[in-house]
Amino acid sequence: MRDDAVRKVVIVGGGTAGWMAAAALARIMGQIPTFAIELIESDEIGTVGVGEATIPQINLFNAMLGIDEHDFVRATNATYKLGIEFRDWTRIGHRYVHPFGFYGIDMMGVEFHHHWLKGLALGDQAPLDDYALSVVAGLQGRFEHPRPGQPNSPLSRIGYAFQFDASLYGRYLRALAERQGVVRTEGRIVDTVQNGETGFVEAVVLQSGARVEGDLFIDCSGFRGLLIEQLFKTGFEDWSAWLPCDRALAIPCESSDDVQTLTRATARPAGWQWRIPLQHRTGNGYVYSSAHISDDEAAATLLANLDGAPLAEPRPLRFKAGHRKKAWVRNVVALGLAGGFLEPLESTSIHLVQTGIARLLTLFPTRHFDPVEIERYNKLTVQEYVDIRDFLVLHYSATERDDTPFWDYCRAIEPPEGLAYKLDMFRRNGRVFREHEELFTETSWLSVMVGQGIEAGGYHPAADILSDAETLKRLAHIREVVADTAARLPAQADFLAEHGSASNVSLKRAS
Amino acid sequence: MNEHSIRELVIVGGGTAGWMAAAAFARFLGNGYTRITLVESEEIGTIGVGEATIPPLTNFNRMLGINENEFVAATQGSYKLGIEFVNWGGIGEHYFHPFGVHGHELHGVQFHQLYLRERKRRVLPDISSWSMSAVAASQGKFARPAADAGLPLAQMTYAYHFDATLYGRYLRTYAERGGVTRIEGKAVDVSLRGEDGFVESITLADGRVIAGDLFIDCSGFRGLLIEQALKTGYEEWTHWLPCNRAIAVPCRYEGQPDPFTRATAHPKGWQWRIPLQNRMGNGIVYSSAHLGDDEAQALILSNLEGEPIADPRRLTFTTGRRLKAWNANVVSMGLSTGFIEPLESTSIHFVQSGIARLISLFPDKRFNPIERDEYNRQMQNLFEDVRDFIILHYNATTRDDSDFWNHCRTMRIPDSLARKLELWKAKGRAFREELELFNLPSWVAVTFGQHLVPDDYDPIADALEDDKVAAAMEQMRQAYLNTAERLPMHGEFIARTSGATNPAAPPPLPEFVF
Repeated sequence: MRDDAVRKVVIVGGGTAGWMAAAALARIMGQIPTFAIELIESDEIGTVGVGEATIPQINLFNAMLGIDEHDFVRATNATYKLGIEFRDWTRIGHRYVHPFGFYGIDMMGVEFHHHWLKGLALGDQAPLDDYALSVVAGLQGRFEHPRPGQPNSPLSRIGYAFQFDASLYGRYLRALAERQGVVRTEGRIVDTVQNGETGFVEAVVLQSGARVEGDLFIDCSGFRGLLIEQLFKTGFEDWSAWLPCDRALAIPCESSDDVQTLTRATARPAGWQWRIPLQHRTGNGYVYSSAHISDDEAAATLLANLDGAPLAEPRPLRFKAGHRKKAWVRNVVALGLAGGFLEPLESTSIHLVQTGIARLLTLFPTRHFDPVEIERYNKLTVQEYVDIRDFLVLHYSATERDDTPFWDYCRAIEPPEGLAYKLDMFRRNGRVFREHEELFTETSWLSVMVGQGIEAGGYHPAADILSDAETLKRLAHIREVVADTAARLPAQADFLAEHGSASNVSLKRAS
Repeated sequence: MNEHSIRELVIVGGGTAGWMAAAAFARFLGNGYTRITLVESEEIGTIGVGEATIPPLTNFNRMLGINENEFVAATQGSYKLGIEFVNWGGIGEHYFHPFGVHGHELHGVQFHQLYLRERKRRVLPDISSWSMSAVAASQGKFARPAADAGLPLAQMTYAYHFDATLYGRYLRTYAERGGVTRIEGKAVDVSLRGEDGFVESITLADGRVIAGDLFIDCSGFRGLLIEQALKTGYEEWTHWLPCNRAIAVPCRYEGQPDPFTRATAHPKGWQWRIPLQNRMGNGIVYSSAHLGDDEAQALILSNLEGEPIADPRRLTFTTGRRLKAWNANVVSMGLSTGFIEPLESTSIHFVQSGIARLISLFPDKRFNPIERDEYNRQMQNLFEDVRDFIILHYNATTRDDSDFWNHCRTMRIPDSLARKLELWKAKGRAFREELELFNLPSWVAVTFGQHLVPDDYDPIADALEDDKVAAAMEQMRQAYLNTAERLPMHGEFIARTSGATNPAAPPPLPEFVF
């Protein structure tokens, strides 16, 4: 056993981020007998818990924790999602879906979308959406697990994620973490003790006077960043020029008959509205720019656009898009909102916590806290924020909307460098690339670029390996197989029922 | 296939046993050569008392490829997480015999040893607080754990309650689809071959003669082939298990079905309670030496929680076993093999176990006696194990309120059981012998529930630190509780899954073909 090993991790704050970190660290590091984890949270401080929609990577996290999917789905009132539907983004009345899956099938070594672009050029106007099972099944509210054993099925390797009640998810992870030996301490932190020489945090002091000492502190205290910002004054990289939305109102409402297996993001006059159907209710929220609309107006818009009776008062949230300049400083690592914030347009909030944890586990420190390792952590974290930011900006800047000052502002946004390059490559010959290990795949970039109305000037020359007639025939065949497959999948309500999901499911059958 | 292969397999009798055998053979003897015929008569009623089962039945269904949701819906079934025993250790006492294990091992020390150690230090909750099935049952909850369920849910183990008549019908459809031929008719005579005394054929009341190479006797208590024709002989166990009568009567009930069977001891026997979707199955098992039939019937009728929905049905039986379950070319299954009262819901298991063993020792026309002897040895062991376990329930009691209990409490128990109990009482050690059905968790549940808590614990448990044991046990207990709280109510689970009959193996989907 190394004599410089971290013996004690203290997690400050017990929202979704805190309990995700606790459960994951306990699962991996908790096996070491000398390793202890303590989480401090105060019931007085509410959690934000907006991030109810996730992306497929959450399955990796759940698998790492050894979570049984059906148990998890029951416990968190979760529903399945196959992608995100964007309404009114390109122009009012327009819609497209960003699927967790793939379009068609690559043919003759050429990516499918080049065949599709060629079809367009030949006059086949069928939209890209018709080629992805995730889209067709998602719009019909159907769900089934992927079928890797059938590589030529459109179900073969679709991705899926969940929409869940974040506070139930926190509770679920808490039970898991406590079972693995994480100690939870109730209390509010009123002071910190730093080492006079190194500035490392040695302990936090609770209102009760108790001192909680640790070797490594994980700051999950939310926007305020109790350790990372209030103590260390790390600084914040402000991206509000690119992403001007700075407020949100969240409100749950009763479930409706509208049962897509998709999260929905509808563009509004000064921002956009999320719609996240859970088993027992639907989560809604309006993300808006306070420079372009008043809180009252935003609330009125939100309330006018619910598809069920509201179940609570709208809850206001304030934020700033951007990230902490350094996520890891000395012996403090910031996770969740303490580390930064990007609006949940692509359901990335929980994912950012997850990758922060994964990076921490990869670079788990010793008590020497090697600065080179910390620098790598920070560099990768910033890169991830930048990648997601570029993808989000694409949704706003590539629009035809000119109906409000907000959209005029967005249309005029100068795309960041990485985004500008991607757009350029696509506009030439429909090339889509995934850079380094960025989160969003070629399918994601393709779906949103095409969905937002970016036009490719041409297609891959190799797509001409297939004759024009053959291309059109195959495209029609693919659409048919996708539609046929979708029709055979169970409706989400039936799928949930098959696995005995929670008793209060109010979803109805897809028609 | 060769000249020796079994060509004609004839099943005599179509109750639960007959159709279970037919379904299983249809599935496993689908060789295109062996023909399976089942003879049954609508004139002869079936017993169909065995409405409660134990977890191995889920394997039987899986082996047949039966969709569980569909099966439960078709049989008015419900799920079962164990048995609640009321008034057995003493009047006013109760305990739960859950399916599945108690707790987790800690550094290789069995959980019940941790429990025995810890209870010397402080007052502990009942050991059922550490059983996933028991905790869920106590809250009326049920959900089927997925194949990849994590702990503690993965420990939840279940069986079914169902309407045995509907189960028989369900299996009949399955078997007939699998090629089994059903012949309506009453067997009235059996012809034996002169040279070796094997059964050659049976004759039906209308004169039809049905010949076979292998006969499965599912004719019930009377044992038309195994006993009436072959005179195999029967070993009685009534000196240990004096009950010899039962009266069954279903009734209405209110509310959600409990996910467990209840067995309530009476002064002169005991009463079962089996919740189905549409009715409550009830019955009283008693000893005619101690209780008159009319008195028993009055007793059961006065103990129903709702209006009876059929006339009480009286049954007579003799506890014991056929000396050879397999004799010549006849294998007996179900009641023709033997009978042990359904206190631990083993009736259907005997059938299932007989079928599985026969499949693994399946004969050809030469009928190698080694295979038959092995089958008989295994079935004898199974019957004796179950017998001992049932005797334990009667013998380990403080009840002295009737001659019946005085007899049970003071009787000389079989040596096999006595030896096991001595070992257990010393330091809580139990060893599973061969193919024994009831293993450690069952022993723990019943002995703890009936005043046989071991005096001491295994010294190996002393290697653990006190605080760690206490903390780990508390964490486990909370985990069971939290997990159970999240589960749906049992009745809701049934309602929610009954409409969803997606087949277990989904059909292939369309593919891109170029």
